[in-house]
Amino acid sequence: MRDYLGVVWAIVVKDATVEWRTKTAFMSAVVFAILVLSILYFARDPTAVSSMDIAPGALWVTFTFAAMVGLNRAFLLERENQAIDGMLLTPVPRTAIFVGKMTGNLLFVGFVELISVPLFVLFYNVSLAGRLPQLLAVTAMATVAFVAVGTLLSAMAVRTRFAELMLPILLLPFLIPPVVGAVQLTSRILAARPASELMGWFKLLAAFDIVFCVLAILLYEATLDE
Amino acid sequence: MTARESALRTARRGQAITALALAGLAGVYVRALAFTPVERLQGPAQKIYYVHVPVAIYALAAFAVTGLLSIAYLWLRDERIDRAAEASAEVGVVFSVVMLISGPLWGKPVWGTWWAWDARLTSTLFIFLLFVGYLIMRGAIVEVDQRARFSAVLGILGLALVPFIHLTVYLFRTIHPQPILFKPSAPSLPGVMLTTILLSLGVFTLLYVGFTTQRYAVASLRALREEELLSDA
Amino acid sequence: MILTPQVSGAAGVNADAGAGVGAAVTDPLLVTEAVTRRYGYRRVFADVTFSLRRGEVLALLGPNGAGKTTLLRVLAGLLRPSGGSVTRNGTVGLVAHNSMAYDALTARENLAFAAKLWGIVDAARVEELLDRLGLVRWQDQRVATFSRGMTQRLAIARALIHQPDILLLDEPFHSLDDPGVADVVRLLGELVSEGRGRGRGRAIVLVTHQLERLVQLATSVGYLVHGTLVGPEPMDDRSVETIAARYRGLLNRA
Repeated sequence: MRDYLGVVWAIVVKDATVEWRTKTAFMSAVVFAILVLSILYFARDPTAVSSMDIAPGALWVTFTFAAMVGLNRAFLLERENQAIDGMLLTPVPRTAIFVGKMTGNLLFVGFVELISVPLFVLFYNVSLAGRLPQLLAVTAMATVAFVAVGTLLSAMAVRTRFAELMLPILLLPFLIPPVVGAVQLTSRILAARPASELMGWFKLLAAFDIVFCVLAILLYEATLDE
Repeated sequence: MTARESALRTARRGQAITALALAGLAGVYVRALAFTPVERLQGPAQKIYYVHVPVAIYALAAFAVTGLLSIAYLWLRDERIDRAAEASAEVGVVFSVVMLISGPLWGKPVWGTWWAWDARLTSTLFIFLLFVGYLIMRGAIVEVDQRARFSAVLGILGLALVPFIHLTVYLFRTIHPQPILFKPSAPSLPGVMLTTILLSLGVFTLLYVGFTTQRYAVASLRALREEELLSDA
Repeated sequence: MILTPQVSGAAGVNADAGAGVGAAVTDPLLVTEAVTRRYGYRRVFADVTFSLRRGEVLALLGPNGAGKTTLLRVLAGLLRPSGGSVTRNGTVGLVAHNSMAYDALTARENLAFAAKLWGIVDAARVEELLDRLGLVRWQDQRVATFSRGMTQRLAIARALIHQPDILLLDEPFHSLDDPGVADVVRLLGELVSEGRGRGRGRAIVLVTHQLERLVQLATSVGYLVHGTLVGPEPMDDRSVETIAARYRGLLNRA
């Protein structure tokens, strides 16, 4: 177990180092997030729709679109000099490679979210006071959901023609449950609705996380050459 | 018998089943229009049911078959399973298009709107898009084994996604007519209409099998031609 | 599980207990039995059979597209054979066409990462390889700034990190300058004979078009032509002309 986690950690550190030195993907994702947040603010009739009404949707569209900019990066990096072979030659379990890649992507998306949230609060004039723990739970659960599926799909997408185009086409249908759930939860939490109104969606997110994390880890090996 | 002959024979069988199904479909519609009463509340628009309901059921069934065959493929690694999964997905996409067109045609006179973000309509739209993506991805991979493996992975993920999509839109809200056929109590449709729709279901079973069989034969013939081209080279 | 034949787990690798050590010294390290590989519907090669003992160097010659690279990947365990079997009685190191290096990391970081995945805790191993491949001066530079030759040296260092019993080399002299080629030839000569434990020496499969290097190193030659392996034939006569004539003869045979 310690060996397994050690390998996962080594991959995460390696990916983070590479990302830190290049910063291209991260900067693009952050700039993309700022652009989406501001465009969505203006994509409404200000006399009819208050910015508060569209805020939860805007936040989640921003998170997922910005994540999509970065998700392919993890496996494109391995394609560069066929570096993935270097990992596959070692006796490291295949699932550890996937979990490492997925954890790297979680960190990546997590940092993009960390930067987007203050801007969201600023742009949409929302108050998060007292709601942070709940919002954090929603964000964590929905992010795990789409990063798990997204990491697996990107492992395939980078090896097809039109790789950049393929990931959104494959991934977006899978974003419907977690993103709709996250938007519903976010708006209810921001409106300070009772916890009983949140449970159904929380259960949906939890079930999605469990099912798709397990599936993604199990199916990763089938995406490797053999 | 050569592989080519057997594929051609499969294709002919598919054609025969399809021809039978199309004749049956004509029969169902003669019955539906001439010998089945007009529904009291919905008027003549309800006649679309006899296509819409079976085609919707078989669209989803086709995708479920693709998902199950995907599991089978990763287990057995037989390329024929992959071809069958592809054939079923393609027929599912065609049926979905028919369903998505026939639905609004009925919806306009009855709901008063062409499109409603109703639970079942929305779910099927998303599932349809998922499998369009499945077919697009197949087109973007050249190597057969890789294509089969990737498609199987996506097929399995899709199978797992369907209940989540359904749950999501259900939690959102629904205005679709409640199920009249598959429900715990006895079907609530008048007897004549029930017979017509059950006949239509039978016809669409044949249509699904016929289409899928033909599409499977096409995939086998394509694979054979690819093999031949390579051995000539 | 593609890789399992040669190692039982990360822990077994670092100790000098490759699975081959327990076997008799003369037992083959690498055995292939009628190996076939397809790519899609295309058969890349069929019926590749040979065995390789410690201290032996099998050189592979073949035209472009004959499947030399695919064969090495099958031998390494990265690809599964479509038919036949590959038995590896030891660990494998592969120098492929691509460097398998991360451009944004330094040479040292690349090696340290590989060492980590192999479960090697001894930090001196990385130093030793940097030194042996002449990379010390550039060890803290990013691979992106490396010349092809330096990248090739790094790729070789990476392949040696876990002291593999079997070395698979795909054009290892590619893009090296003359001193570089001389260095690598000398290194390979040392690697063949050195080794750990009782079973001394390594087995090497060498794909190269440089016949002068080939005759210097090889103990046998296999010709991957017309979709199958001819040979391996022993190197009775270490002359470039003999090998070239034999190769030409096989290529022209329909």
